[in-house]
Amino acid sequence: MNILIFIKQVADTEARIIIKGDHKSLEIENKYNMNFFDEFAVEEAMRIKEKNKDVQITVCTIGSQKAVEALRTAIAMGADRAFLLDGSKAATNDPLAISRILSAFAKKEGFDMILCGRQAIDDESANVGAMAAEFLGIPHVSAILKMEVVDGNAVKVENEIEGGRGIFEVKLPALFTTQKGLNEPRVPLITGVMKAMKASIPVVDPATLDIPQEAIAAEASKVTILSYESPQERPPVKIIEGETPEEKIKNLVKALKEDAKVL
Amino acid sequence: MDFRLTEEQEFFKKTVADTIDRMVVPKAQEIDEKDEFPWELWKEFTKLGYVGLRYPEEVGGLNADKIMCMTFYEEIARGSVGFAQSVIMNILMGTYFLYRFGSKEIKERCLYPAIRGEKIATMCFTEDQSGSDLGATRTTAVRDGDGWRINGTKMWITNGPICDFATVLATMDPSKGLKGLNFFLVEKGTPGFASGQIIHKLGCRGTVTGELVFDNVWVPYENFLGAELGKGVFYVSDILDEVRLMTGAMALGITRGAYNEGLEFARKRVAFGQPIGNFQLIREKFAEMDTLMNAARLMVYYGAWLLENGMDARALAAEAKMYATEVCAKVVDEVTRIYGANAFAYEYAPQRYFRDARFLLYGGGTHEVLKDFIGRTILGKL
Repeated sequence: MNILIFIKQVADTEARIIIKGDHKSLEIENKYNMNFFDEFAVEEAMRIKEKNKDVQITVCTIGSQKAVEALRTAIAMGADRAFLLDGSKAATNDPLAISRILSAFAKKEGFDMILCGRQAIDDESANVGAMAAEFLGIPHVSAILKMEVVDGNAVKVENEIEGGRGIFEVKLPALFTTQKGLNEPRVPLITGVMKAMKASIPVVDPATLDIPQEAIAAEASKVTILSYESPQERPPVKIIEGETPEEKIKNLVKALKEDAKVL
Repeated sequence: MDFRLTEEQEFFKKTVADTIDRMVVPKAQEIDEKDEFPWELWKEFTKLGYVGLRYPEEVGGLNADKIMCMTFYEEIARGSVGFAQSVIMNILMGTYFLYRFGSKEIKERCLYPAIRGEKIATMCFTEDQSGSDLGATRTTAVRDGDGWRINGTKMWITNGPICDFATVLATMDPSKGLKGLNFFLVEKGTPGFASGQIIHKLGCRGTVTGELVFDNVWVPYENFLGAELGKGVFYVSDILDEVRLMTGAMALGITRGAYNEGLEFARKRVAFGQPIGNFQLIREKFAEMDTLMNAARLMVYYGAWLLENGMDARALAAEAKMYATEVCAKVVDEVTRIYGANAFAYEYAPQRYFRDARFLLYGGGTHEVLKDFIGRTILGKL
């Protein structure tokens, strides 16, 4: 089975982010990681490999040379191969362009299953997985919480739906986006780390893929940044006073009516 | 001069840091509070294979370079100094003599399991009356039939009370001073070998430190770990530079852990209507700390580079140990001042770094002895 994983390198959740004066760009501290939700994808692929024979795991990402680090992390976890798709000339802020490139690469490489995180924690668009599946003409299930390989041709997956769980049996090839709770991503063994350190990671030029280049060029992006704004500061906490619980409730109701105006 | 880490070394550093953040940092406070050896964490962590870091692949190691080793020591100490001490004992001091001089059987029985984390190693130098003054060692080893009879008591032994085997410094002839010293392997279960008093420490808690007693312990001849009798101290010099730099690297880790806590606090703590990081005297502290930390870092990693390239690092390693640990003590002190009264509460991390930092001032060599050594090395025999 060939499992292809789409990953993204994102800023660390504790990286300092400063909105520049023009409010249209960001200065981000140089701390980057593999996207949180993609870790579940890599881990699930590893678990499939450990339980089944003849499984090859390939990881790819679109980005600059810097993104190689995220690919190395996937190799350290156990992925067999990794590819960097050069994003220097592509509309990398547009999920549609991203999914075109990824799906074109997937079509060229071949796959039985594609896994990727349900969303990236930077832009949180949650579009790429589903869009790529559509471009490839394959079924997809989003935010899976459980996966079981039925045989080489199908998998059984579960995700959360309102009031319960959706359970699907899906014929391969298919794409699944992964959700927190699917598994516990492993900490790489040092042997994996050493292997990742030495791994040679080819760079693929999207111009060599079967995509209309004008559709993925930076100018073709359908996303325009209007402005970046800081989140509003939270108002200070108000402690409701009162001698007794009954008095406190009375004062709370009064505050909800007169101050918050929600009653 | 290129001061950058290679792309591979950067990746290693990041991965180790991430591993420590996930596995060790969340348990650091509990390890310190309970002051019990974290067996579960030991099992989980040693499975990752880092204990074999510095040994060649043929013994189950990873052949890591000295920069990578220092990076690892720094990161694990940043996570938890108590845990770090136990792990590093298995990586370096507790296993080195078995690797260098142990027979095939000794390696099978002790070294390889220690590298896998299945056995716990320790190294026994210190006695009640001899720390820096190794020549005053009183633990004796005398020939007895086709083996050795060992008698004595060792103190301040990291992992001692829980070890599976120990490399023991003993003298064959006290009148010979340093030239009478040799190393011997003693394994758990050997009659007469027992754990004594456990030392309850101010810091570096979680690692079990205590007394080991050798009461007429007999070990076979092959347990002599050396190529030539009387050369024990000579062999120690093979790893002494690395041990000193390792201590410096641990100091860098504690320093950075404390510094990061201080940085976050200074950004968020509000006094007089603004974050305290806006006040000049707080900024001055960060300016001084950053300067000191950068200098310490350069010394430790320069020393590692010298070692890696087979160059003389004797004076530099001692200087780096001294400087980095003194910087550590200063930085953890400043961070507690930034925290104010909160630093006095066990709830917050700075007090743990403050306590942990003290040990490095004398562990691995007191600075009074190191200065004399450095001076002697520079001036030569007069």
